[in-house]
Amino acid sequence: MGCWFSKKSKRKSPEKEPPTTVEETTNSSSNANNVALSSSATEDPPKQYSWDKRDKVDPKDFMLTGLKDVTVGRLPGKLNGQQFVIQDCEGCNIFVFDHSATITIDDCTNCRVVLGPVKGSVFFRDCKDIKCVVACQQFRTRDCKKMEVFLCCATQPIIESSTGMKFGCYQYYYPELAFHFKDAGLSIFNNNWSNVHDFTPVSGETNWSLLPEDTAVLDHVPSPDLESEFKSVRVSAEASRSIVPLTKGGRRKDSEESCLFVFFAGDYTTANARKLIDEAIGRGFVLIQTKEVTMRPEDVSRVFQNNAEGLTEWITKGPVTALELNGEGVVEACKGIASEMFSAAKVFVSDSKSTSSRDVDNFFNFADMQMGL
Amino acid sequence: MCWSSIAHDTIQDQRYGSGFGMLQGLLSILRKLKSTPDQEVRILLLGLDNGGKTTLLKQLASEDISHITPTQGFNIKSVQSQGFKLNVWDIGGQRKIRPYWRNYFENTDVLIYVIDSADRKRFEETGQELAELLDEEKLSGVPVLIFANKQDLLTAAPASEIAEGLNLHTIRDRIWQIQSCSALTGEGVQDGMNWVCKSVNAKKK
Repeated sequence: MGCWFSKKSKRKSPEKEPPTTVEETTNSSSNANNVALSSSATEDPPKQYSWDKRDKVDPKDFMLTGLKDVTVGRLPGKLNGQQFVIQDCEGCNIFVFDHSATITIDDCTNCRVVLGPVKGSVFFRDCKDIKCVVACQQFRTRDCKKMEVFLCCATQPIIESSTGMKFGCYQYYYPELAFHFKDAGLSIFNNNWSNVHDFTPVSGETNWSLLPEDTAVLDHVPSPDLESEFKSVRVSAEASRSIVPLTKGGRRKDSEESCLFVFFAGDYTTANARKLIDEAIGRGFVLIQTKEVTMRPEDVSRVFQNNAEGLTEWITKGPVTALELNGEGVVEACKGIASEMFSAAKVFVSDSKSTSSRDVDNFFNFADMQMGL
Repeated sequence: MCWSSIAHDTIQDQRYGSGFGMLQGLLSILRKLKSTPDQEVRILLLGLDNGGKTTLLKQLASEDISHITPTQGFNIKSVQSQGFKLNVWDIGGQRKIRPYWRNYFENTDVLIYVIDSADRKRFEETGQELAELLDEEKLSGVPVLIFANKQDLLTAAPASEIAEGLNLHTIRDRIWQIQSCSALTGEGVQDGMNWVCKSVNAKKK
């Protein structure tokens, strides 16, 4: 195996006694791979962890390596939450139609990639000319060039030493996708696709930007070839079918009037939120952002201020789902929709045009802080 | 000892019996012991970006780990453990901001270095960074715990393989330990922290 770093490090003077480690709780197990890691007078019996005991799996089943000009990936049920690795691929269409723990994509060029919901991080390194559809908890790139990313990311996406990076809102559907989001622990309402942090900004240039609003996902990341093994997966990227609602994010708002609409936890919260979005879009309003977040009693008065009375008990049942809708007359419209369509549900709606932007700021600032660390 | 307190003790003894003064003395010593603060330990948590440092930090603090954002600066938490107050500094590991690590070296009692055991592509890079840390004057003699993290993942290399690749056995100037773990599930974390607590005060000058 050898040593991974070539630089010879200076060690301290050799006259000193080589120290023993203080305590012997090593992770050695009965198999030959693990060795006793340090000498000590009293050796405790080697401790077994769950990874020592689990069935061995062939790592190659969870990797795509060195492929060229092919359509490849995984069908639903084939990954089942495991880690996936993609490396050294060129000219490929890669479809990972399952949820996974984490995915790294290294040294790939000119590929179109769809990644099912990832519980942890998606990390692109040394990639070029990639168009992808990604849903994950963390999105990271390093040393990448020219990427188009249709993203659903639960936290702030970050890029490092990357240029020509363009971002759009995740829009995708396949039949199992909603389940995969749940399996990966991702909320369709927590999508920070448009606020990217650049660790290596260059003065006078921007390494990243937003894709034009009318960009059609399937024009950039086409559905699987009908001759491929993925022909059975019925894919759609239409806004009306997308599992993740289309949000305007950081783009400039058309109107100065916004409205905060909050659904408190209940049996039909997700369905209700989608109904609201459909109704509001239908009336010409725009969805700016959404958040699904847990609130504590002490947050209620700070966020809802004068309207906090009676809400405190509602937040204990589970996370709240909040939406910011925008457009001329949106507050009155939302109030009307609330009483017509959601009279049975527990909701909060901004009371008036004059207070609604404060409602929006109070809520989403709170949500950002809550989910920051 | 001042005359008036001797007189006072004597009067107390006369009133309540000779053991009373001794008991008062014992009680005041016990009171002082209780108010002695736990020893504070400064722990520096380093490693490449995406290694699991912040997840580990949140796990140590028994907080929710399902929603963690890439660290842009640093995070710090204080955790009570085995009679110590651990002040843990979790510093962002992107390549661009590693030069800032040295701002946090001073007065470190224990270094915890976190490795993504399932990111084989970057083993060389993480080995390099660790080697440079162990060469740092301001970290000289500081005990180091290497967490071979993400053992829950499929392609994770076992700690023994990582120890070999990092040439840990050549470390002569400080005590060290490698511990496999999953910061996500918590498995192995406490075992590592037990070593940390035992190694405090073992810093070689």
